[in-house]
Amino acid sequence: MKKDMMKLGITLALFASLACASLAVVYGFTRENIEKQSEIQLNASLKELFPEAASFEPIEGLKSPDPNIKFESAFEVKSEQAPLGIAIKATGPSYGGPATLLVAVDLRRSIVGVRVIELKDTPGLGANASSPTYYVDKAKKTTFPGQFAGKYLTDAFEVKKDVVAITASTITSKSLTNIIKTAGNAAVAWMDAAAAGTPQSADAAGQSAGGK
Amino acid sequence: MKKLYSIFKQGIIFENPLLMLMIGLCSAIAVTTNVSNGIGMGLAMTFVLLFSEIIISLFRKVIPNAVRIPVFIIVIAAFTTMVDLVMKAYFPDLSKSMGVFIPLIVVNCIIMGRVEAFASKQKFLAVVADSLGMGLGYTWVLIGIAALRELLGNGTLAGVQVMPATFQPILFFILPPGGFFVFGLFISFNIWLKKRMEASAARKELALRKEAA
Repeated sequence: MKKDMMKLGITLALFASLACASLAVVYGFTRENIEKQSEIQLNASLKELFPEAASFEPIEGLKSPDPNIKFESAFEVKSEQAPLGIAIKATGPSYGGPATLLVAVDLRRSIVGVRVIELKDTPGLGANASSPTYYVDKAKKTTFPGQFAGKYLTDAFEVKKDVVAITASTITSKSLTNIIKTAGNAAVAWMDAAAAGTPQSADAAGQSAGGK
Repeated sequence: MKKLYSIFKQGIIFENPLLMLMIGLCSAIAVTTNVSNGIGMGLAMTFVLLFSEIIISLFRKVIPNAVRIPVFIIVIAAFTTMVDLVMKAYFPDLSKSMGVFIPLIVVNCIIMGRVEAFASKQKFLAVVADSLGMGLGYTWVLIGIAALRELLGNGTLAGVQVMPATFQPILFFILPPGGFFVFGLFISFNIWLKKRMEASAARKELALRKEAA
């Protein structure tokens, strides 16, 4: 009996380690490409949002005031002469799992644009947020993230008031709006802190954004 | 050869995993909102099914009966993860639109069912025929359901606008209830097809016997 158990355990362990080894090989082959893909996508979105930009300098340690929303990375965007604005890649909960957005804010404290990096919501409903052919305003051909372009962060950011919701996807609309607002406010706070001449303290930026 | 072909044929209509065996339905309804998802999911599933069945069949004599299910799961999970990684690296758009359903292939009952009921008892070639047949059976149903749902619910096919601009998409078909509705239609279609084919086969046999007599 004991011998049997040993044999079973060893067989199982053998299969598991073989599977692990082959997975490690595949992972090694694909890892570089996966990272490259996500970087390509991020860079393309940044370039689209700031066509005049010459450099994107990563900002370290910018923290989100909302525990549910994480800032994965943030960039200070500069043209050859002057700073243009800030872009934050933020992840927050949405209807079908975490959603990742790229939120860009310019020096006038208005949103330059929003790009959907990752969204797992229902196809045909919430996923319309990332569809380039789903318009919240059919006459002007504005997409859901497109409607935020040019919006000032002093606005209310309330779905069904100053933000048009996606049909039958109120939860997605609200969560995405919330991510955009949080990231936008943090960006403004960071710029305020930088403009006030204080050392670019990320913590201070996070706190003042939370106070708003 | 003839035997292999008859194994292969089983999965497509007579023992179609979705329409006849009624297994693996969750993915069939969840991802079939557009045609490219259907194709991607079908191919990914067929790949995992093929390689899991081959590995299990090759090792069927060394897998102890008492721990066979955990071993199956390990093998299936390993292949699923490979598909997931490869998709992320080379087809990022497809991987994005399939979302969580690729990892969920691990618990797709079609694979578990075929591995347990077929691959763990059969030889290499029979297993290849079975997995290709089952995979094709799964894929055509997926593409069929997805085409109908996308066309009626969104007016497009694989993302390309097909219906005239005046066509008002029927949102019902994109929603899960619409999925069940279309799925039901496919089941009845398949049963009709199966009956027809059986009838014609019976007629042929009768004619043959008469000739012989």
